[in-house]
Amino acid sequence: MSFIIYALLNTTFVILISPLFVSLIKKVKAYTQGRQGPPLLQTYYSLLKLLKKETVYSDNTSLIIRITPYINIVCVIVASLSVPIVYIPGMVGGFGNIILFLYLLVFAKFFMALAGLDAGSAFGGMGSSREMTVSAVIEPVIIIVFAALGLLLKTTNLYEMFRTSLQSSLFINPSTLLISLSLFIILIVETARIPVDNPETHLELTMIHEAMILEYSGPNLALMEMSHAVKQTILMAVLINILIPWGLTSAPSVLTVSISIITFIAKGAILAIAVGVFESMFAKSRLFRLPNLFMLAFFFSFSTILFELLK
Amino acid sequence: MMNLPVLDDITKILFVLVLATAALIITVRTLSSLFNVYSIQSWFIAAVAFVLYLKNSSVVLLLLAILTVASKSFLVPFVMRRIQKSMHIKRDLEFRYLTPIGSILVGTAMIFLVYWSFSQFLPTLSSDELFFPGAVIGVSLALMGMMVIFTRKRMITKIIGYLTMENGVLLFSLFIAELPFIIELLIVIDLVMLIILATVLAFGIDSSIDEFHTKLNSFTLWFKE
Repeated sequence: MSFIIYALLNTTFVILISPLFVSLIKKVKAYTQGRQGPPLLQTYYSLLKLLKKETVYSDNTSLIIRITPYINIVCVIVASLSVPIVYIPGMVGGFGNIILFLYLLVFAKFFMALAGLDAGSAFGGMGSSREMTVSAVIEPVIIIVFAALGLLLKTTNLYEMFRTSLQSSLFINPSTLLISLSLFIILIVETARIPVDNPETHLELTMIHEAMILEYSGPNLALMEMSHAVKQTILMAVLINILIPWGLTSAPSVLTVSISIITFIAKGAILAIAVGVFESMFAKSRLFRLPNLFMLAFFFSFSTILFELLK
Repeated sequence: MMNLPVLDDITKILFVLVLATAALIITVRTLSSLFNVYSIQSWFIAAVAFVLYLKNSSVVLLLLAILTVASKSFLVPFVMRRIQKSMHIKRDLEFRYLTPIGSILVGTAMIFLVYWSFSQFLPTLSSDELFFPGAVIGVSLALMGMMVIFTRKRMITKIIGYLTMENGVLLFSLFIAELPFIIELLIVIDLVMLIILATVLAFGIDSSIDEFHTKLNSFTLWFKE
């Protein structure tokens, strides 16, 4: 019963907060470019607008493109259950398992790439091909990063990880700092941001993520945008709850849950601003230069393992 | 003399940060950011020395920290920036033997090798908890600096490599009370650096080693009797 309450609270919160962070990053980027930028609630308006529109499918498409938006949103929302934000519940079944968590995210990505190919347009195919190329390089790095995290916090369960990091501090586990750098790089790569991908552009030479969702319209596009936003929020939450878990609680009551919600919004806003500033500082790099960034994440996670050995 | 456990933890965090800057020195291509990373790395090493001073209250460590900040965080990057301004190149994109990706991989392997070889005998030498990680990271930093020297083609990045190496030696020597050999090595490296700086300043800093000979040859007439 308590898990159902947790699931409802956590999912509702994640869905409600995700578009805000997306807008906040856009706003920060606009400010650094000297523009006013869209209002903070713009992403909500856009999603609502999209939900009201009709869906158009190309004649060449199959079942894949019709089910992909639903698979995507379901996968990320189930994955979001593994990342406690409102409070840390007791252990239930396989939830919180990092392997399951990663596989759910990859499953969503797989279907997105498949749907990119489905319409048979050149853009979609190119986007899928690029996304899979980038994934093939980043996935081993992600596995190593989470393995290092598992070694550091002595568990493969995200609930337990957050609980441990809540009890310890940066001083006890200084290598959390290194692993956070890796997690930040993963956040940038997985949410298709500069220098990996440019979320603003629709230029065929550069787009990766946007190319795959070109074929969607109406509510389907809204679902794809939403699942992207939720994915970003849960990856941010992993980083935040590992590095600065203050405010998160494992003893739920009305007070502690509201504290953890408020602190998460504050910390998430700071991280979103950091992402926006980071994005503004760099230019998109060439596809073949990307492994450089991934190798940094790899190096940091290996150093974490080393620090664990040195203890 | 303070013996707070917090100091040890702060030192560990600084180690982590030093390692992060070492990775950046290998991969960064823009020269101005390279100097910034070097400057930040020197700040961290000075901070390590300062924390050790708080712990041991040995004045030498304090002097070392001040000297490091003054010379490596301000003076050296300042001079390097001036050199860079005069040579009209902003980025170093030429690599030899290893690309930055390869360098990072080799660097990771090297750290593990250093760790493995040190774990054979170092823990028996000293009971200090920080001695082992300090030694491992110091030596790895020196080796990574060496890697920068042989993978980069531009002279100015090679100099950053030498300086990183020296930072590594400094970090290593911080955790060892008396090690005349290390200090000697440090002086030798400084000398080499000085010579390279002098020659490079004389014969055109914007050249890579291969172009160096041709440039040098144009001066041979001066020395003929």
